[in-house]
Amino acid sequence: MSGVTEKDLALSPYRVLDLTEGGCMLGAKMLADLGADVIKIEPPRGSPSRIAPFYKDIQEPEKSLFWFAYNVNKRGVTLDIKRAEGQELFRKLVKTADIVIESFEPGYMKQLGLEYDALRKIKPAIIMTSITYFGQNGPKANFKGSELTAWASSGYLNACGNYDRAPTWISFPQAGLFGGAEAAVGTMTALWHRHDTNEGQLVDVSIQECMMSPTFNVLQMWDVNKVEFKRVGGYMYVPSTGVHQPIYFNCRDGYVMILVQGGNEPFVSSSARLVKWMDEEGMASDWFKKLDWRVDYNAATMGQHLADSVGEEVQKFTLTRSKDELYKEGAIKRRILIAPVSTTRDICEDIQLQFRGYWVKLAHPELGEALKYCGPFIRMSETPLQYRRRAPLIGEHNNEIYGSELGISKDMLAAFKQKGII
Amino acid sequence: MGSKVFEGVKVAEFAWAIVGPCSSRYLADHGATVVKIESHNRLDTLRATSPYSGNVPHVDGSMCYGRYNANKYCVSIDLNHPNGQKLALKLIMWADIVTESFSPDVMRKWGLDYDSVRKLKPDIIYLSSSMQGRGGPHASYAGYGQNACPLCGFSEVSGWQDRIPAAPHGAYTDFICPRFNATALIAALDYRRRSGKGQWLEQSQFETALHFFSPPVMDYMVNGRIMHRQGNRLFSAAPHGVFPCQGDDSWVAITVFTDEDWQALCNATGNPEWTKKTEFSTLAQRKQNEDELERLVTSWTMNRTAYQVESILQSAGVAANIVEKSSDVYDDAQLKCRDYFVRLPHPVMGKQAFEPQAGFILSKTPREVTRPAPCLGEHNQYVFTELLGMSDDEVADHIIDGSITTELGGVFKANM
Repeated sequence: MSGVTEKDLALSPYRVLDLTEGGCMLGAKMLADLGADVIKIEPPRGSPSRIAPFYKDIQEPEKSLFWFAYNVNKRGVTLDIKRAEGQELFRKLVKTADIVIESFEPGYMKQLGLEYDALRKIKPAIIMTSITYFGQNGPKANFKGSELTAWASSGYLNACGNYDRAPTWISFPQAGLFGGAEAAVGTMTALWHRHDTNEGQLVDVSIQECMMSPTFNVLQMWDVNKVEFKRVGGYMYVPSTGVHQPIYFNCRDGYVMILVQGGNEPFVSSSARLVKWMDEEGMASDWFKKLDWRVDYNAATMGQHLADSVGEEVQKFTLTRSKDELYKEGAIKRRILIAPVSTTRDICEDIQLQFRGYWVKLAHPELGEALKYCGPFIRMSETPLQYRRRAPLIGEHNNEIYGSELGISKDMLAAFKQKGII
Repeated sequence: MGSKVFEGVKVAEFAWAIVGPCSSRYLADHGATVVKIESHNRLDTLRATSPYSGNVPHVDGSMCYGRYNANKYCVSIDLNHPNGQKLALKLIMWADIVTESFSPDVMRKWGLDYDSVRKLKPDIIYLSSSMQGRGGPHASYAGYGQNACPLCGFSEVSGWQDRIPAAPHGAYTDFICPRFNATALIAALDYRRRSGKGQWLEQSQFETALHFFSPPVMDYMVNGRIMHRQGNRLFSAAPHGVFPCQGDDSWVAITVFTDEDWQALCNATGNPEWTKKTEFSTLAQRKQNEDELERLVTSWTMNRTAYQVESILQSAGVAANIVEKSSDVYDDAQLKCRDYFVRLPHPVMGKQAFEPQAGFILSKTPREVTRPAPCLGEHNQYVFTELLGMSDDEVADHIIDGSITTELGGVFKANM
């Protein structure tokens, strides 16, 4: 929160112009957290990414929690880059910048005369990072896309959800966030290249490719052994036998995940500890106690019936316990491979996050209070990430950046404002 | 084309499974020298994970391991052996970056933890990654990305409201963290270039992954609202879902945000009667009558193939994509155009399709996949003699005393 500190910031020498929207805004935010001077550029009447959820459910652009979350540490200006005078102003900004990140459809920046080839003429060392669903070129580059269709294009959507219904995504959109985070890596790679060469370049991010990464080994199952993975959300799927072992269970106040597995360590010991606990509570049937986790509950040889019976037996027990008991007593104390299926409330009340001082408060004077944010994404000993400012209001730094820093006169700024350029 | 971006940057990788290896892969795809330190006594869990080439489990035959480790070198060192620890330290002295994901005591026991290493090499950049971070009541929590996914809240909001959560497949958060790590590692390199200072990067995967979920978390903090799973629905679009098509388990994803998109969809479907219903004309109305809307869209999609629906809607400018199966992904024209899969010969697996980690292409210094994933200990000779400058005799001594491992302790066994 406080701008004064003895520690340096990792990226303090660099300026980033951020034209992205949606989840892609995370990319420049990561660079801002690391200390870059990031200027968020949004249309004069406010960004379309000032969306739900809203502060106290007040549906106003200045109350968007989504905007708050992904624009921390950035300064903000308004600018209509669709108009010639706006483009001129943008070029002035580019001359002061190291990096431009954008997430418009391919070709849009070119229509405006602001594509990489145009910008490098003004600033040869500029790095331009473009995030799109499919990349800048290729047969699908001009496909209309969305977060959901990006999941569909990656092979990951097909691997998620219940087997007897349509595949499902994660209800909070993730694809744009992947694109944004990937853009941060690509931008840093280009920045490192620039050191010895003084050469900028275009970074072409494909969200489709980013969304392929969580498929784990699903794609390879096809390519190597011609096995199409069948989604079984909430279960552990064993491709060689087709058996699905239950790993999500109802408990008294929600759900837990337990890696009830056998065959190898550490699963055999974990499952044995679960049986021991259930037995201590008088809740393990004789057959269950006699089960040999190494031999009987072996993914390579077991059948569906056994998996179902084990699932029922475990769930009888979990239904008598709360999520918190299963986590603290089962996972932490007894070292069983259990995870709570956290709700957003569980996360906010989590004692580990609190112990580590994860949450960071940032003042919002306009709201008359400070809000808590997810803390540093990593802890760096020499250049700790700092939360220096809350997300910018619409046009909050117009005077500071256009006036004081670019030296545009007050009269000019007033004229720009009147014409709706800023 | 210039030299490779990270040429000369050296990584000693003690991390295993996914998070650490994916983080350093970004560097390896752009020219860094990444050496994995493994052991025959303690296999990387991915080596024991299918699929295996020819369906035959083999320590060097897993394309699950292969996916994450192309472009890297591999040595095999017994870190429990004092001479193995000495060898590891030599590698650290050679490196710019160390990555590790052991529990805190382990690296300390071996004298390879950050505090020990920095005394010998103050400018080392050292990444420690764990599920819940160092310190605190849950620091010892052991688990996989499969545990972190529900812990971080992603499972609760996946699937249907009338069912238990349909968790996103696999170790979801393991694929979030590397992007943050790679960014931070390069930022640390950049800082070291200016200041000469190295540093310790300490990661709780829980804390990192929450950045993909922060608005719903703030919604609870501020408004007390707990987010629930909503199938495939999204507040700002309708229809917004996955619809069945002709064929076995064949689906298409469709997104209609604006009323303009809706008109385009109506035209593309040939304006059947149901599209003219007034209760669908605005987004608010479509949201209100979404069950009915989805039923009618289904009646249109189910008589067509997924490709037909995609093509009809895309020509009208409506966002649609077939739900690609794995086989579709390998045939995807866009991925082919970007040379995404690279088929390279592997000594045990034959020719296999490797992937870049980077989902981006730099115009002047593009990603490259030039070498397959390494076999266990494949580069002992190269790394110890060529990179570290040890003599053949020295290497032989390490092999004789067992600190360089060369054989599995028993029969190789796959996990699944």
